[in-house]
Amino acid sequence: MALKALDIYKLLPKKNCKECGDPTCLTFAMKLAAGKADIDICPYLDENAKSVLGATTRPPIKLVKLGVGERSFAVGDEFVLYRHDKTFYHPPGIMFKVLDTQSEEEIMAITARVRDETLTRVGADLKFNGTAIVNTSGTADAYAKAVASVEKTAGLPEVLVSDNPAALAAALVLCGSYHPLICAATQENYKQMCALAKQYGCRLVVRAPALDALAQLTKDCVAEGVKNLLIDPAPQTLGDFITRSTAIRQLAITRAVPDLGYPVYLDATAFDDEDAAIALGIVKYSSVIVTSPLSPASAKAVLTLRQNIYTDPQKPIQMNPGLYRVGTPGKDAPVLMTVNFSLTYFTLQGYLESSRVPCFMLIVDTEGLSVLTSVAAGKLNETLIRDAIRKFGVENEVTHRKLIIPGYSAPLSGRIEEATGWKVLVGPRDAAEIGEYLHQEWKP
Amino acid sequence: MIPEPNFGWTSTVGEVILGATRAEGGTRSRSYRIGGGTTLPFMEKGITSPSPLIAFEICDDSRFWSPIINEFCGDLIHDPGAWAKTAETTYGADLVRLCLTSTRQRDFSDIPTLGKTVETVLASTTLPLILEGSNEPKIDSEVFLKCGETGQGERLLLGTAEAGRYRSIAAAALAYNHSIIAQSPIDINLAKQLNILLTEIGVQKDHIVIDPYTGALGYGFEYSYSAMERIRFSALKGDADLAMPMICAPSDSLTIKEVREADTGVRNAIAVEWEFATSLAAAVAGAEIVCVRHPDTVKRLKAAFTGLKTRSGM
Ligand code: B12
Ligand code: SF4
Repeated sequence: MALKALDIYKLLPKKNCKECGDPTCLTFAMKLAAGKADIDICPYLDENAKSVLGATTRPPIKLVKLGVGERSFAVGDEFVLYRHDKTFYHPPGIMFKVLDTQSEEEIMAITARVRDETLTRVGADLKFNGTAIVNTSGTADAYAKAVASVEKTAGLPEVLVSDNPAALAAALVLCGSYHPLICAATQENYKQMCALAKQYGCRLVVRAPALDALAQLTKDCVAEGVKNLLIDPAPQTLGDFITRSTAIRQLAITRAVPDLGYPVYLDATAFDDEDAAIALGIVKYSSVIVTSPLSPASAKAVLTLRQNIYTDPQKPIQMNPGLYRVGTPGKDAPVLMTVNFSLTYFTLQGYLESSRVPCFMLIVDTEGLSVLTSVAAGKLNETLIRDAIRKFGVENEVTHRKLIIPGYSAPLSGRIEEATGWKVLVGPRDAAEIGEYLHQEWKP
Repeated sequence: MIPEPNFGWTSTVGEVILGATRAEGGTRSRSYRIGGGTTLPFMEKGITSPSPLIAFEICDDSRFWSPIINEFCGDLIHDPGAWAKTAETTYGADLVRLCLTSTRQRDFSDIPTLGKTVETVLASTTLPLILEGSNEPKIDSEVFLKCGETGQGERLLLGTAEAGRYRSIAAAALAYNHSIIAQSPIDINLAKQLNILLTEIGVQKDHIVIDPYTGALGYGFEYSYSAMERIRFSALKGDADLAMPMICAPSDSLTIKEVREADTGVRNAIAVEWEFATSLAAAVAGAEIVCVRHPDTVKRLKAAFTGLKTRSGM
């Protein structure tokens, strides 16, 4: 259970030495209570205080950073079971699997794909996150070679999957300082795994099928000095996954079992339908998902689902209102009005670009609502448009006074004409038809 | 010992019966009792609770259907009876949803033919039937009465009632003892309001299925997912006006840009992925019925639901 600041204060050394960066032990206690500080910053805590405070004061799910550099990513640090209660913060990293029995070319091709493949949706560049290198051969040599091939290709976050400490050691010589994730520590081997993780500063997956064993194991690993843990409840069926992952999330965020307060690891390759496992992983609390390299169709769907689930539904992704240019529009170029919901903006913009008609897009502030939604909600109206024309100086940019509006806002056309003095042209409903429309209808 | 997670639910989702066997006064080979959930989907302690049902959507005028499906299903698209039968025997659907797309033609008035189509489909499949009526308020009344009458005794699920448009469908459901799909645009309060409107004119709660409106993946699904979760939780917390099972139809999936503009080589695969990912996530959010249009999606969903219902001993 969460401790109150005063309870925490009682356990602190009360030296007020400021070494934690706080003026007093009490202010430090208040930060701890809010989950905003790590107890380790205080050098004078006794063992008892550490064990009591350890798991209860850090964020309910530990923040773990994987990899280094531009493509590194953080997982964990989540607070809710349901995204509508707040939002989900750290989208799962999706890692493509390579085997050390594959040829160097294959390994490099998969790694390069992860490095380069980008799906651009509503202004965001969606990418896969790294590779999971599996020690299928069982030998250290082949494994080190595979890791070297990956390293040679890209500086992406890595998961090192092996039961063989010697193979891991050989790989860690190559990539150990880049915060890879080692997979996996079990009841049998955790001491060896922890030694490796500690030596190289790695993150470590802890695996056990039963939650009590899992909790015990995280405690053991922490005692060995490894704190950056992920947990793998080793599901054999999709049902196992959803029940265990949900239980872990619930027990962690309520701090009922702080030792389960770590991000969840999911090996989707263990399932017949990997796409199903990935989709469930995304909606149900996975933080690192390992998959075979995905088909183009699966890749698109998976990246889109992840973007959807990690978008705050209360705050649609928005554009700044303003006058945007497509190409280099002149004084007689068309002006197209639309809303500041980014999905709308990017959809329309895409079609305008392919139409090759230079033009202006006048983006008005509908608080991120789509055309139809904002019309239905009364958020899109003539005063908004009149004010936007003034504010963004549209009259100085073009010599004509014609405004093309979305087909779905046709009912507003009369009122817009009255309020702005501009002639309103009702465009098509579907942005896909905008090119044809402009080519046929537009005359300044 | 690790405690069981406690979500604090106090109530259950209400139940609705779909279809009627001979013993129950209809001609279906089975009927379904949907709803009854007591916690998050797939989290029930015993795993005896039913899987979500998969409804395969067919239509009576393929001009208004996705070209991807028309191509995939071939000649079947011109024969709703044969198509429905194939959905049952080959695709493995649990339900057939017949969309009367012919009513979308300008000035449509051929009500008797609609009745015949419904008859044919009922005769061709033994599965319970969802009937999607007209898209045009002017003919609602005639269409729904005809459908309701033709399906008398079969406990159809009639769609779709909306806030501005529910009287005709309710009248048909009441007269012939069918259930209703109540659709509202991704909003828990509107869903509740519509259920209240329907109950006020006499529709029983156990004859209503909520359609929270499913925006396609990438096109509103971020809202749909949470709207569905919230409706489910309201039911579990005891709000009787929201304690109905849900139906989800990610049918927009086939018209979005990613699918429409895909290269011909991958278009079919993308269509299936899109339907599949949306339906699976919707089932996890609480849908008791998911409706799809691509036969391959049915198979994938079946397998995934079976997986979700299976737990290895610990
Ligand atoms: C997701 C969604 C929501 C989300 C909001 C999403 C958002 N950020 O706007 C939420 C859940 C919040 C929502 C709320 C509401 N919604 Co809503 N919502 C939708 C949904 C499913 C998708 C909207 C969407 O994202 N479309 C995609 C974007 C890209 O479309 P778009 O902006 O229209 O742009 C297209 C065209 O207009 C065109 N275009 C755009 N700009 C321009 C410019 C020019 C010049 C041209 C030529 C063309 C053009 O190109 C784009 C692509 O073709 C639609 C149903 C649907 N399938 O359309 C219902 C829908 C729009 N909503 C509806 C309603 C009624 C509402 C609410 C009023 C009800 C409610 N729930 O309270 C509220 C209002 C919001 C409020 N704050 O009060 C109705 C509108 C009914 C009507 N015909 O007027 C719809 C159609 C659902 C329905 N069938 O009932 N909604
Ligand atoms: S470092 Fe420890 S002892 Fe010093 S002020 Fe901070 S909490 Fe108190």
